[in-house]
Amino acid sequence: MNPDDPDGDLVRRVGEGDVHAAEALVARKLPRMTALAQRLLGDRAEAEDVAQEVFLRVWKSAASWRPGAAKFDTWMHRVAFNLCTDRLRKRREVALPETWDAPDPQPLADAAISAEQQSDAVGRALAELAPRQREAIVLTYYQELPNREAAALMGIGVDALESLLARGRRALKARLEETDA
Amino acid sequence: MLEMDLNRFETLVAAYGATPNRWPDDERAAAEAFARADPRAAALLAEADAVDTLLFAHRVAEPSRTLRTMVIEGAPRKRRLTGRARLWWSGLALALAGAGGMLAGSAATAALEPISANVQMYSHEDVPALDYSTEETTL
Repeated sequence: MNPDDPDGDLVRRVGEGDVHAAEALVARKLPRMTALAQRLLGDRAEAEDVAQEVFLRVWKSAASWRPGAAKFDTWMHRVAFNLCTDRLRKRREVALPETWDAPDPQPLADAAISAEQQSDAVGRALAELAPRQREAIVLTYYQELPNREAAALMGIGVDALESLLARGRRALKARLEETDA
Repeated sequence: MLEMDLNRFETLVAAYGATPNRWPDDERAAAEAFARADPRAAALLAEADAVDTLLFAHRVAEPSRTLRTMVIEGAPRKRRLTGRARLWWSGLALALAGAGGMLAGSAATAALEPISANVQMYSHEDVPALDYSTEETTL
């Protein structure tokens, strides 16, 4: 946390046991953490588990939190990101059954397609991206992290992030055009 | 302002899309100037904008009230006595008050005891009679 941290005062009050501050922090961050986890994991229930785990760590750390280099939001993203990548790693360790097949893509052709259907189609396309491309897109576009923060979170340089973003966008577009055809 | 050429502009838009707010801070001004000045920029921006529109079609539901409540329940809070704890502390306070009263009472008794003890020890009968004949008086 640094002196310019927009969450700094709120976190200090949470650490002092101010329940109103805790409610405000939840209102500000829970949607963000849930969305991050859902887009990385593609599973709502798991995303909610991750969001709860993130907040358990927030509650434990708030009283002892001291200003440092990172903003509190960045620290929360790191916690959530690590929890998600742990879950994804465990998923990969579980072998898929031989009969498993990827679900058929849903057509996206109808011009009057509902917003919900379009959202679902993009969600499926996101889920099918290479994991690192998906992480780059989620952190940069949906979480709106500055490029340096997103790159640092992923343990890569800004050049590598830009490459992942460009490839991810191309793959996403191709996937949606394919389902649209 | 950093230098911007077509190659870098293309890379920038391919990675960060068509919205200048998402472009890196240190390159935004140069990229915006390039977009205004170079006619090739428009096609790149239009293509990127179409992908941006697709990306932002994705929606995630707001957290449920149940989840919010569960999360908030775990938050640290100032120590406030629950009904049971309040009863316990009241009992303790009463006990302490009683003990204090007893202590004060016994202290008061203890303070008075030497007098009454002396009175008993030196009852009227036990007090030896003064022998004035042996008393030396110095004036």
